[in-house]
Amino acid sequence: MTPDKLVQLATDNHEPEWFIQKRLQALKEMSELSLPKIQRFEYHNWDLLSDITKIINDTNKHDKNYILTDIFAAMNEYPELVQKYLNQVIKTNENQLMAYHTACLNHGIFLYVPKNTVVEEPIEVNLVQDSDQPFVSHILIVAEENTQFSFIQKMTTKGSKQSLANCIVEVVAKDNSIIKYAAVDELGENVTSYLSRRATVGNNAYVDWSIGLMNAGNTIADFDTDLRGEGSHSEIKVVDITTHRQQEGVNTRVTNYGKHSIGHINQRGVIMDRSRLIFNGIGHIIHGASGANAEQQNRVLMMSGKAHGDANPILLIDENDVIAGHAASVGQVDKQQLYYLMSRGIDEKTAQRMVIRGFLGDVLVSIPSKVIREQLVQTIERKLENGQQISENS
Amino acid sequence: MSTLEVKNLHVEVEDEEQKTKKEILKGVNLTMKTGEIHAIMGPNGTGKSTLSQTIMGQKNYHVTQGDILLNGESILEMPVDERARKGLFLAMQYPAEIKGVTNVEFLRAAINARRPENDKISVMDFLKELDKNLELLDMSQSMTERYLNEGFSGGEKKRNEILQLLMIKPNFALLDEIDSGLDIDALKVVSKGVNSMRGDNFGALIITHYQRLLNYIKPDVVHVMMGGRIVKTGPADLAMKLENEGYAGLRDELGLDVKLVDED
Repeated sequence: MTPDKLVQLATDNHEPEWFIQKRLQALKEMSELSLPKIQRFEYHNWDLLSDITKIINDTNKHDKNYILTDIFAAMNEYPELVQKYLNQVIKTNENQLMAYHTACLNHGIFLYVPKNTVVEEPIEVNLVQDSDQPFVSHILIVAEENTQFSFIQKMTTKGSKQSLANCIVEVVAKDNSIIKYAAVDELGENVTSYLSRRATVGNNAYVDWSIGLMNAGNTIADFDTDLRGEGSHSEIKVVDITTHRQQEGVNTRVTNYGKHSIGHINQRGVIMDRSRLIFNGIGHIIHGASGANAEQQNRVLMMSGKAHGDANPILLIDENDVIAGHAASVGQVDKQQLYYLMSRGIDEKTAQRMVIRGFLGDVLVSIPSKVIREQLVQTIERKLENGQQISENS
Repeated sequence: MSTLEVKNLHVEVEDEEQKTKKEILKGVNLTMKTGEIHAIMGPNGTGKSTLSQTIMGQKNYHVTQGDILLNGESILEMPVDERARKGLFLAMQYPAEIKGVTNVEFLRAAINARRPENDKISVMDFLKELDKNLELLDMSQSMTERYLNEGFSGGEKKRNEILQLLMIKPNFALLDEIDSGLDIDALKVVSKGVNSMRGDNFGALIITHYQRLLNYIKPDVVHVMMGGRIVKTGPADLAMKLENEGYAGLRDELGLDVKLVDED
C-alpha cells in the first residue's frame, strides 16, 4: 500500500487529520514489526497484509441513551472521545498485524455507554465481511462507570474469494461496569483471519466474554483481558470447532494486575478431519496483585486420527498470595455417553454430535444470553454435520 | 406378539485397562414374549448386568458362543442403535450425564429415531405425551429443560430412565436394578410407570437383588442366576422363597458348586 493511495482513501472518507497521520505512522512501522507470537503455532506464510481498496461506512446507529455509530463518523462527531480511547487498550505498534490494522482500517464501530447507564436490550451488530477486499474492522467499546449492557456480535462472509479479515475489538470497562460480550464468528472457508479482542477492566468491573469461534478458514485468535482494577473480574469462554484442513491458533490471556482480581478461562475445542487447533491459555499474575485468582481449563476433543491439536496452559505468577490453577486435556469422544444415546435408538452420527455438545456444554451453558446460546448450538450442529460429511468423503 | 430368545449364551468381558478377558456368562437360556414380565434375581457378580448389557449390545461384552434372537432374527451383528430401533430398551444402572443436551431434546431425538424422515412427531403430540408421563411419574416440568441426567440425584436418574421407557415404548425393556438407591415412595412411582406399560406389546426383564421391587411389579416368571447361568425358573413366589432362604440356601439345595462373591 502506498502512502499516497492511503491518504487518498482516507481523505475521500473525510477522516480527520490526526487519524490520517496515525495511519501513515502505522504504515511506516509495519515493516519493522513482527507477527504476534502464538506458542506452538506457525503462520508466517499466511497472507495477512493485503491492500485494501475501499472504506466501508457502517450503518448501525443509535444516539439516545448511548452512542453506537460508524467509527469514522465518530472521529468527526465525537473527536475527543475517539481520540482518547482508540488504542488505549491495544497499541498500534504492538505488532505487525496491529500496525497493518491501523494503517488499513476500512470498517469500524464506536460504542459509548455514558456513566450510570443500564441498557436492557442487548446491543447487537452483524458484520458481513465482503470477500472482494480485506476486512479490517475495529470495534471500540467504552463503558463508563456504573454501566451495564450486553453486546452481541455476529460475523459472516459474503462471497467466496480468497480474502483476509483483521478484526479488533477494544473494550474499556470502567469502574463498576458490567459488560457481557458474546460473539459468533462464522467467517468463510477462504478467509484468513486475525481476530484480536481485548479489554481493560476497572475497579469492581466485570467483563464476560462468550466466544464461538466457528470460522471455516484459517484463524489466529488473540483474546486478552487486563484486570487492572481492584476486584475486577472476567470470565472468558471459548468454544471452537475446526474442520477439513483448517488451521487455528488461539491465545487466550488474562493478566491480573489488580488486588483480588478474578480471571477464569474456559476453552473447549473440537478438532475434526485433518484440521489443527492450538489452545494456549495464559494466566499471568503481576507482583502486587494479592488475593488474585487465575484459573483456566483448556480441553480439546480429537475426532480423527489425522487431526492435530494441543491444549497448552501457561501460568506466570509473580505474587505469593494468590489462587491459581489449570486443567488441560486432549481426549476422545466419551464412549459411555455415546453408548447411552445409541441405546435409545439414536444413530451414531447424531449421538456423536450430542456427545460433542456435551463436551462443549460446560462452556455453552455459561453463555448468559439464551438467544446466543441457541444460535450457537445451531451453528455447532451445522459445523459438526459438515465435518462429519467431510470425514466420510475423504 | 414379539419374542426375545437367549440361546446358550457365553460372554466374555474385556477389561480395557488391564487388557484381560473373563468369561461371565456360561450358557444362558431364556425365552420371553411380549405380554410377560420376567424377573432375574441373583447374588452380586453373577452376570445379571452382563446379560442385559450383552442383549443391548455394549461393545465390551463379547459373545463367544450362542445367540440372541429377536423375533427369530439374530441381533448379534447389529449395532446398539439398531437393536434399540428394533424394540429393545435398557434402563441403565448408571445412566450417562450429558451437559448441553436438554432432556426434552434427547427424548424427541430418541422418538424420532424410530420414525421415518417424513413422519417426525409433532410438537403438540410430543408435549401431550410428555405431560401425561411426567404426571404419572410425579416429575416436575423443569426436569425436561434440564440437561440430560446432569446433576440429577440417584432417584431422579431412575425416574428419568422410566420416563424414557414410557416415551419410547419399546417392545422389550431390560430394567437393570431400577430399585437400587430408591426410597419406598420413589420405588412405588417407578413401579407405577413400569406397570402402566403392561400389555400385549410389552415385555420386561427386571434385574434385581431384592424381592421388594417384585411386590410392586408382579412378575410372571422368576429366574435365578448363579455362576453365569440360570439355575432355576419358577413362578412369582420363587422370589419370596429366595427372600426367606437366601441364595446360599438355593445353591445348596441345587447342589451347585458356585462361590458367592459376598460370601466369606
